[in-house]
Amino acid sequence: MARLGLAAVWIVAGGLKVTDLAASGRAVNAYQLMPYSAAQVVGAIQPFLEVALGLLLLVGLAVRLSAGISAVLLVIFMAGIVSAWARGLAIDCGCFSKGGALGAGQTPEYAWELARDTGFLVLAGILLWRPRTRVSMDGLLMGVAR
Amino acid sequence: MSKGTKERAAARRIVEQQRAAEKRRAVTVWTSIAVVAVLLIAGVVGYGLYSSQKDDTASAATPPGAVDDGTAFASGDGPVTIDIYEDFMCPVCHEFETSSGATLKQLVTDKKVTVRYHPIAILDRYSNGTKYSTRAAAAAAAAGAAGKFAEYHQVLFDNQPEENSNGLDDAKLIDLGKSVGLTDAAFGDAVNSGKYESWATKVTETASAKGVTGTPTVLVNGRQLQNPTPAELEKAVG
Repeated sequence: MARLGLAAVWIVAGGLKVTDLAASGRAVNAYQLMPYSAAQVVGAIQPFLEVALGLLLLVGLAVRLSAGISAVLLVIFMAGIVSAWARGLAIDCGCFSKGGALGAGQTPEYAWELARDTGFLVLAGILLWRPRTRVSMDGLLMGVAR
Repeated sequence: MSKGTKERAAARRIVEQQRAAEKRRAVTVWTSIAVVAVLLIAGVVGYGLYSSQKDDTASAATPPGAVDDGTAFASGDGPVTIDIYEDFMCPVCHEFETSSGATLKQLVTDKKVTVRYHPIAILDRYSNGTKYSTRAAAAAAAAGAAGKFAEYHQVLFDNQPEENSNGLDDAKLIDLGKSVGLTDAAFGDAVNSGKYESWATKVTETASAKGVTGTPTVLVNGRQLQNPTPAELEKAVG
C-alpha cells in the first residue's frame, strides 16, 4: 500500500508538470536558489524523474533503492520550501503544479506543504524499512517472498 | 538414516541457501542497475525536450518596432523608464491597468516616462490547454509590429477572459484587432499562424532570467515597485 501510494504521488506530481517544461523551470526558478539557466534544466528533468520513479515503485522494481531515492528527493524539496519560507518568498511550491510566484493577495501555505511532504517521507520510510510487498517485480524475480 | 546421509542433506541445504542468497544478491544488483538506468533515461529525455524547446525560442521572429533587445513595446520617450511585465490572463494585471492605466498615460503625455510593456506568458495553465497567455502575447506582438501595441494591449485587458476558461479564440483576437484599426490581412495571418508565439516564449524566458517571477511586475528605472499604485508610480518617477 505504501508503495502504491508513493508511486501515485510521484506519477501525479510529475505528470502534471511534464506537459509544460518551461513552466516547470520557472517554478524551480521561483525558489531563487540557482541561476535561471540551471533552474530550467532542473525543471525540465525533474518531472521525468518523478514519473520514472513512480513507475518503478508501481511495478515494484528495487523498491528499497527507489524508496531511498524518493526520500532523498523529498528531503531536498522540503529544504527548498523551508528556505523559501525563511527568506519570506511568496511562492507556490510547484509540488503538484507548475508553481511560480503567487499573485498579490495569495498567501503561501508552506506549513501544509511541509506536512504533506512529511507524510510522503513516512511512506518512503516504511518502504525502506520493509521493502518487500505483495505483487512486485522484486518478489517475482527473487521467488516467493519470505 | 545413517550419519553420512544426514551430513550430506545438511550440506545440500547449506549449498541451496547459498545459491538462493547469491540469486537474491544478483537480483538486487541488476534491479538497482535497472533503476539507475531508467532514471538516467528519464533525465536524458527531459533534457532533450528542454534543448529542443530552447532552439525554438532562439529562432523566434522578432516583431518590428520591439525595444529592449526586441522583448518589449514602448510608449512615450520620457527620461524615466518604466518596465511592466504582464500576462494577459492575469486578473491582478487587469486591476493594475484599471487603477494605474490613466496615470501611466498621463506620465507618457507629460513626456516624463518611457513605458516598456513586456507581454509574458506564465499563466498558460489557466486556459484549458489553449495557451491563451501565449496566444494573446503573440497577438499583441503582431499588433505592435503594425504600430498598435498600446491600443491592442488596452482592448485585451478590457476583454480579459476568466481564468480556467478557454480564453479568447483566435477569431476573437482578430476581431479585437479590427476594433482598434488592425484591419489588414497581415495581422489576422500572424494571429492564425501563431507567428509570434515563440517570441512570446522568448520574452517570458528573458523575464524569468531577469528574476521576474510573477505578474504584474513593475520596475521604475530598474527598481521594482512592491506595491504598484498610481501614487507609488508618481512618487518613484518624481
